[in-house]
Amino acid sequence: MPLLQARSLTRHFGGLAAVSAVDLSVEEGEIVGLIGPNGAGKTTCFNLLSGFLRPTGGTIVFGGEDITGFRPHQVAGRGLVRTFQLTTLFQDMTVRENVLLGMHLHSRQGLRRLLFGRQIFPPDEVTGSDEVLEFTGLAPQADQLAKNLPHGHQRILSIAMALAARPRLLLLDEPVTGMNLEESGHVMALVKTIRDRGTTILLVEHNMKAVMGTCERVVVLNFGLKLAEGTPAEVSTSAAVIEAYLGAGLQHA
Amino acid sequence: MPSNARAATVFVAVVALLIALPFVGGDYYIYLFALVFINVILAASLRPSLTCGQLNIGHSAFMCIGAYTSALLAKNLGVPFEVSLLCGALLAAVVGLAIGYPSLRLRGVYFAMVTVAFVEAIRLIASIWVPLTRGNAGLSVPKPSLLGMSLATRTSQYYLALVLMLIVLVILYKLERSRLGLVWKSIGMAENLAQSLGVDIANHKLLAFTLGCFFAGVAGAFYAHFIRFLFPPEFGFLLATNILVYNFVGGRGHFAGPVVGAVFLSLLSEPFRGSPYETIFFSIVMLLTILFLPGGLITLPGKLAGLRRWRPTSGTYAPPASA
Repeated sequence: MPLLQARSLTRHFGGLAAVSAVDLSVEEGEIVGLIGPNGAGKTTCFNLLSGFLRPTGGTIVFGGEDITGFRPHQVAGRGLVRTFQLTTLFQDMTVRENVLLGMHLHSRQGLRRLLFGRQIFPPDEVTGSDEVLEFTGLAPQADQLAKNLPHGHQRILSIAMALAARPRLLLLDEPVTGMNLEESGHVMALVKTIRDRGTTILLVEHNMKAVMGTCERVVVLNFGLKLAEGTPAEVSTSAAVIEAYLGAGLQHA
Repeated sequence: MPSNARAATVFVAVVALLIALPFVGGDYYIYLFALVFINVILAASLRPSLTCGQLNIGHSAFMCIGAYTSALLAKNLGVPFEVSLLCGALLAAVVGLAIGYPSLRLRGVYFAMVTVAFVEAIRLIASIWVPLTRGNAGLSVPKPSLLGMSLATRTSQYYLALVLMLIVLVILYKLERSRLGLVWKSIGMAENLAQSLGVDIANHKLLAFTLGCFFAGVAGAFYAHFIRFLFPPEFGFLLATNILVYNFVGGRGHFAGPVVGAVFLSLLSEPFRGSPYETIFFSIVMLLTILFLPGGLITLPGKLAGLRRWRPTSGTYAPPASA
């Protein structure tokens, strides 16, 4: 059974069907790309899967449990964690604090610790955050404020925070936006390592090079409908996909 | 000196001065500072909710509930002060929970509107429910007592207020510096991100709000037994905005902000207390703060230090030494 299975997922905004009857499944251990032209419904799809929007139709099953209509924190609690397209960080906190907050789901704190604890974070959480910082290469900046990081590092930090939540499935919304070639190569290598360590990945990305080089399977959306699905090679040669991206006229040229 | 040690030194020095105050100041100062302590509790107890990004413009309603509950229990049933204070605070917290549960799901200005409506509703109930509260004729309240001893002198009441304020501040400070406080802060900074990491934001906001209501209830209960006369219009919208202004003028970036704001404004507005000029004064201070010190009074020492570093000597710019 797939780790994530969405059946005829639908979301209307008034009369507009932002996502309509999309079937999407992700197997454990895969890296799946979700692509499509602007306005195709990719981010709406992410918002539906992560509980930030309620679907107007369809079901979402994650790890064998129906999570349709769950609230975001409940979805995250089941092990499905997302990042955001616009860099979203706790800007006025340090990098380490950001990561420690990512571990929220796994921290247990009684009233006694809250009122009488000497340190804010127990030692095992600090060790855990060190590990994540080391893994993502952010360790040297651990004590800087998040807002002072360069853009590329901020994007990596948002992935690090999601990782700290120890997800089973990680949804990455445009992880390499605004990055140069070297940075995006680094991030996509990081994504592969994350998968190799046991986290399944579904990502939205506009950078085709990054998608084609990393994903094992690609799902193409257009106008809220699923247009095609297959390996990067299959999808990039599909006539329908080329038409959606480049327009119909080109074939006759 | 590390900033933590400096803050601790300042704290101890201030507490020592406050303990010494009754020996040097007259009755007037004792009375004035006890009122300041009440304002400090009110201002500090609003902070958790503000940290979560909730604009609560009705905090005085919970002070009102604490005040009337504690006063009526003491007056009609002879309940000892410490018990009635706890009951007042608990009822304020329960009502806060009941109001907060449905309305904290509202965002921004909608939540603020609910709190405004609520503070007026509570004030009206206190005015209209004459058989219980005596309405706008006012309710007289017995003196406070502690462990069976009546605290008849202003000095003893002053120390009671001081101890109450210190307890409340220590609890709130501890919470702010705990993981819970950091989660509150994270909700205020980026609600959607906090949610995506598994934070139940509704419950965390509710906890922050209810806790604030509890301590506002504490302030109200003490106020009732200190002033010994309750008059519903005093708990209206105006007081609620004042509590909010303490927070903004003092500064929202640091725990000491609301404390500094409450002390500064209560002392400075003392000549106008109870007159219409008080409102004008508060508005002017608020405007000046927004214009010239958006971070609040708490950022003033840092800004002055910055000025001193910028001006001096050889004309070469030396980067400020990290604190």
